[in-house]
Amino acid sequence: MKGWNGKVLEIDLTTQTHKSYPLDMQMAQQFVGGRGLGARLLWDLVGPDVDPLSPENVLIITNGPLTGTGYQTSNRFSVTTKSPLTGTVLDANSGGFWGMQFKKTGYDVLIVRGKSQKPVWLEIKNSELTFHDASELWGMRVYALTEKLGQNNNKRNVLCIGPAGENLSRIAAIMNDRERAAARGGPGAVMGSKNLKAIVVEGSQRPEIDDKERFKFMLYETRKLLAASPLTSQALPEFGTVVLMNIMNNIGALATRNHQQTQFEGAEAISGEELTEKYLVKNAACWACPIGCTRISKTDKVEGEGPEFETTWAFGAQCGVDNLPAIIEVNSLCNDLGLDTISAGSTIACAMELSEKGYLDSDLRFGRADLLARCVEDMAYRRDLGAEMADGSLRLATKYGHPELSMSAKGMEFPAYDPRGMQGQGLLYATSNRGGCHMRGNMVGLEVLGLPKLIDRFQVQGKSSFVILHQNVSAAIDSLVVCKFTNMGVADEYFARVLSAVTGIQYSTGDMTRVGERVWNLERLYNLREGFTAKDDTLPARLLQDAPTVGPSKGWVVKLEPMLKEYYRGRGWDEYGVPKPEKLEALGLANL
Amino acid sequence: MPNIKLFASLRKVTGTKELSITGASAGEVISELVKRHPDLAAHLLENGQIRPHVIITINGHPATDMDTLVTEQDQIAIFPPIAGGQGEYL
Amino acid sequence: MVDQRIYDIFREIGRDLYTANMISSHGGNLSIRLGDRVIIKRRGAMLGNLKMHDLIETRLDKNDSGVALASTELLVHRTVYLNTPALAICHCHPRTAIAFSLSREEIVPIDNEASYLLKKIPVITEEFASGTPQMANKVAAALQNYKIIMLRGHGSFATGQTLDEAFFWSSTLEEACQIALFTKQINEPFIEYRGMSDSYSKF
Repeated sequence: MKGWNGKVLEIDLTTQTHKSYPLDMQMAQQFVGGRGLGARLLWDLVGPDVDPLSPENVLIITNGPLTGTGYQTSNRFSVTTKSPLTGTVLDANSGGFWGMQFKKTGYDVLIVRGKSQKPVWLEIKNSELTFHDASELWGMRVYALTEKLGQNNNKRNVLCIGPAGENLSRIAAIMNDRERAAARGGPGAVMGSKNLKAIVVEGSQRPEIDDKERFKFMLYETRKLLAASPLTSQALPEFGTVVLMNIMNNIGALATRNHQQTQFEGAEAISGEELTEKYLVKNAACWACPIGCTRISKTDKVEGEGPEFETTWAFGAQCGVDNLPAIIEVNSLCNDLGLDTISAGSTIACAMELSEKGYLDSDLRFGRADLLARCVEDMAYRRDLGAEMADGSLRLATKYGHPELSMSAKGMEFPAYDPRGMQGQGLLYATSNRGGCHMRGNMVGLEVLGLPKLIDRFQVQGKSSFVILHQNVSAAIDSLVVCKFTNMGVADEYFARVLSAVTGIQYSTGDMTRVGERVWNLERLYNLREGFTAKDDTLPARLLQDAPTVGPSKGWVVKLEPMLKEYYRGRGWDEYGVPKPEKLEALGLANL
Repeated sequence: MPNIKLFASLRKVTGTKELSITGASAGEVISELVKRHPDLAAHLLENGQIRPHVIITINGHPATDMDTLVTEQDQIAIFPPIAGGQGEYL
Repeated sequence: MVDQRIYDIFREIGRDLYTANMISSHGGNLSIRLGDRVIIKRRGAMLGNLKMHDLIETRLDKNDSGVALASTELLVHRTVYLNTPALAICHCHPRTAIAFSLSREEIVPIDNEASYLLKKIPVITEEFASGTPQMANKVAAALQNYKIIMLRGHGSFATGQTLDEAFFWSSTLEEACQIALFTKQINEPFIEYRGMSDSYSKF
């Protein structure tokens, strides 16, 4: 079998033992890799009775058949587990170089079970695994630790947690290659709960490719297509993802001050244009990526990767802050502490609103850029109010009697796009399997950028078809595993052909979409098994009832109900959002 | 005067973020803009028409029809093509 | 009653198809999928001159009253929607493409735009009339892997997220075939300008 390595490494931290065995190739064909394979394995390994922060939770790291082949952006990997933040199935995806190196060790899957008695870090050198005592390293921040363990982008790669993960913050991230993050949903806390500080990989195996001619052709065409798309060849390299700030603000879909408004008067000050003009050193790229959307930014105090759009928004518009250097600095701090920037920023915003309304006694107020760094440190170390903020906005807001002020779905904080300005996005947030997330089928292409064609962002009827399609395709891409920005220049028919060329198994475009649909339905089944129901496919009252009073989205709320009904029917689910037997049969999930 | 805002790479091309230009319709305003800054033509126009995937909004709403009438109070925003190009979709 | 905006798109694209000589007066078809419903041309309507009442909305998976009025090709469209990720279908009769389909198993464009966008267009054969399961299944199977295909002697089927896209592929195909026809008439040695071009037919 080409593409896949065909091996699984399973580690038991409790007994400090490990074993390796062949990957189930039937399963691999059906679920491909990355998110899909991770979800399928999680289904077997972690049931509803398991507390996400207990030793019975399992951490699964997967790459995919395309990882490490050199296809554009074939550097990503997935972390799958049960989320300590939401309780749903979680897959967090990260780029950089670690995924590529993990593939070179000769494994496709790493399964980590149990809990180590004392802090430990793992070293995987090709097929050799070594347990190392991490007692001296416990407490170290990400940058220092990464350097200490010998990070070298192309040869030896460090994945680790910082103090946030050690202190079991439910919004803690897993960091790799210093400043890349598998962040959403708190996977860092799972690692922390296992006393696992870091996983270092070094490998020398190259994945095999079945049809090299065809693969070369796909590389060639992809290169042309990415160069031809202004998004991937100009906007992203020049301005980074922050290019979206002014665009989203202009159309009235930039959530501001904990979603109280949909436009931010300070958007220009925290825009991609401002970043490029004043703070950008250069752009950078992950392994095998020609796009180079990574920013290297510099202020008086820090220089490093980022910030991304979502981060800039979360600590910016969402907190009413228009101080870009402060945001750049707090981004760097979050990376060093190992915290998810979206959840951190939005939780601070929630705390700001709770304070302003008098429900919570603190000095936090919208616009207080000077308090961001302190908040983030307090969250990572569970100090003072930080102890209550460390577990996300929903737990915080609930504690202070106002859960409706947490801007989240299933407990995960929303990103920047205010769905009152994008109906499809609202449906996406409500139905995403890991909670309020945009990466599960981002509608920004269709509803804002005109990629491939602009559709009416306020239209409700028929919108679910697009959301379903994008959710399926995103799930497929997350299973390959490549970067979604490639998809902005290259259609999924190319991915299907690349996958076929690499593995020798013929996947048609429809087969790829079906993989995505299969993964989506499996994740749905997982959540249903956990006890989630159609009632959880919802949004905060603010988004369903409080229309913005000014701006282009004035008067609009998310018309979730009709979209959701149409969505369930479109997915082949019953009116309770449960996949019908025929649908499961068609996807090969009937035995689950 | 309708307020025109330019974004991303268009700022470098014209050397400015904001302009005031009179015109009865969106199309007229854009023509005048290109006349004043001929370098913009390559970014915004193709065969005399607005290039596909140039994002033009009037008060935050996408302007698909260049005959749309505009007044002095309308805010026109122009973003260069950041989607588009041959062959991309999804 | 179909939404005005949807009707406008159907009417515009229908008109564009007719004026581009890609359909006859009553030939061709356009449809979109809205969740679990389909909007398609009424039987006997003229795509070049669509009125609001020429658009029929019906269920995707089962017959309802709309079916009596819908085009006889409804089955093909439904089958495609149920078996592919398509959200819009454009079926037309592009003359030059049809002519080429009579003598080959696949159309491989030589012009830049179609090489780039389409790579190759497979040709399938099915003599059975529109509206039969045989034809519907064959077309849907072919559209699993290509966004536009030719039914030999009959016409093209193209899918997309929007009607705009599906029309785009159809129009590109016809343009590619016209250019190929002119090239044959000019009959001079072809100067290859595309890298790795022998891989197109293996797409």
